[in-house]
Amino acid sequence: MTITICIGSSCHLKGSREVIACFQKLISEKDLAGQIQLAGDFCSGSCAQGVVVTVDGRDVYSVSPDTARSFFENTILPGLA
Amino acid sequence: MLKLNQDDNIVSIKDAVLCEVARLAFEGRLDEEKDSLPYQMIPGPKAMFRCCIYKEREIIRQRIRLAEGKAPGAGTHSANIVQVISSACEECTLGHYQVTDNCRRCVSKKCQSACRFDAITMESNRAHINMDKCKECGKCAQACPYHAIVDLTRPCKRACPVDAISWDKESGIVRIDEKKCIQCGACIESCPFGAIGSRTFMVDVIRLILSGKRVVALPAPAGEGQFGQGITMGSLAKGLKELGFSDVVEVALGADLTAAYEAEEWAEAYQNGQKKVTSCCPAFVNMVKKHFPALLPNVSTTVSPMCAVSRMVKARDPEAITVFIGPCVAKKDEVLDLALHGNADYVLTYNELQCMFEARNIVLTPEAEAIQQGSVYGKRFANSGGVTAAVVQALKEKEENADVNVMVLNGARECKKALALLRAGKLPADFAEGMACEGGCVAGPGCAKCEFDSRKDRQALLAQADSRKIWENLEEHVDLESFSMHRE
Repeated sequence: MTITICIGSSCHLKGSREVIACFQKLISEKDLAGQIQLAGDFCSGSCAQGVVVTVDGRDVYSVSPDTARSFFENTILPGLA
Repeated sequence: MLKLNQDDNIVSIKDAVLCEVARLAFEGRLDEEKDSLPYQMIPGPKAMFRCCIYKEREIIRQRIRLAEGKAPGAGTHSANIVQVISSACEECTLGHYQVTDNCRRCVSKKCQSACRFDAITMESNRAHINMDKCKECGKCAQACPYHAIVDLTRPCKRACPVDAISWDKESGIVRIDEKKCIQCGACIESCPFGAIGSRTFMVDVIRLILSGKRVVALPAPAGEGQFGQGITMGSLAKGLKELGFSDVVEVALGADLTAAYEAEEWAEAYQNGQKKVTSCCPAFVNMVKKHFPALLPNVSTTVSPMCAVSRMVKARDPEAITVFIGPCVAKKDEVLDLALHGNADYVLTYNELQCMFEARNIVLTPEAEAIQQGSVYGKRFANSGGVTAAVVQALKEKEENADVNVMVLNGARECKKALALLRAGKLPADFAEGMACEGGCVAGPGCAKCEFDSRKDRQALLAQADSRKIWENLEEHVDLESFSMHRE
């Protein structure tokens, strides 16, 4: 599974770096490095949607530093099975 | 506003767009004015360098999107750094070998005897190549004593070291196979129509500077010579601060770090009988990842100078946003790999930086006071052979065996051959320094000045650097305990 996180300036100011750090930490804690690839992406223009996170190039989500952990647990983890 | 004219070449058109986009971004007017920019730059009514003003404006429009970091075609999305500007592609001829007027229909017919596929026949006034039979081996062109057979391979295809270039069968417009592309940027430089470019982080960096964040510039070791005679790292730092960067740290210091830790890694690998290749050139690492994945364990785990210096800055100031500035297009791809923590947040090229200086009317001048953060060994990382020389120096400083058998792979083609040998277990050397650009980073596609033009100034500037040693420099200036130097 590939999780793509927008690193454009708008998403940066909304906390993309905190979201990335949270995902990196969870991936390392749960030992998922072999199953999940984390990649940055250029701005796609959907700046209003907050930190833009795309899963496998299809599903687009709006995530914030506050919701990053619950997003990972409720949306990413079930998709791995 | 920069006025384009008929004599302008691709470089000046590309730079004019980057410069205008930077100017508008600094003034906070980009979103409202970018739609009118193509009309301001190409006022018409006469076309200047293409068939009509509508095509010229579309090329400008696509270049603006690239400058903003987007794929050039609206509505398209791809992760590749290197992108085709479809409106600028001239759909060059598809036949590779062609017989020209120079053919004298000679008696010996060396072309015919050289062809192993029976593809050459003699017409009434010249030889003819049957494209159905031709395998494009080139033997006929080599054999002709009149140079009458020419190789018309598309320049982009010829430049690509990994065969990632093809074209759409119907339109003839070039396509990049993103699964194969290593982001080296060789095709960008090769296209005589400027139809390939790279996405930029320029607007993002400008917006973050304007937001008041602490944005730290990390100029790469190729910097000396990029901005002319006497423009030292000190002169460059002054200009970067005028642009709004809060601090400047030379990546040559990161190169010292990489050389020191790579030396330790090599010494250990040598004892274990394992062969290692360097990890600092991102296009070379991409070549291993995409074309020789079995060799990934042979890539040194020491991080690149860019990552090293970014981690050092973030260990001191966790809020800092780090921006690498160098001659490299593939570095933009390295920062998208988020498995590597602490790496630079953004990448600009020296060419993009030059356009940003122009947008703000900043002129670099020689500075009396020298600023030196990296050793001269770190500074020479940007030249082919420089990484090897620095690692050998670091081995000597630690009194390790410095008599190592290293192969310097100068350019992507040499890299590819050596990796194939390594995979087959036949690489004669124990270590290999891989650089995808021929000549090293100083000849990279993101340079502000080509290698030939920068060489003399660079040599003069490097000759002024003091003679500090690698470990001496690190022990004095870096808290080595505060961050890791390896990929986790």
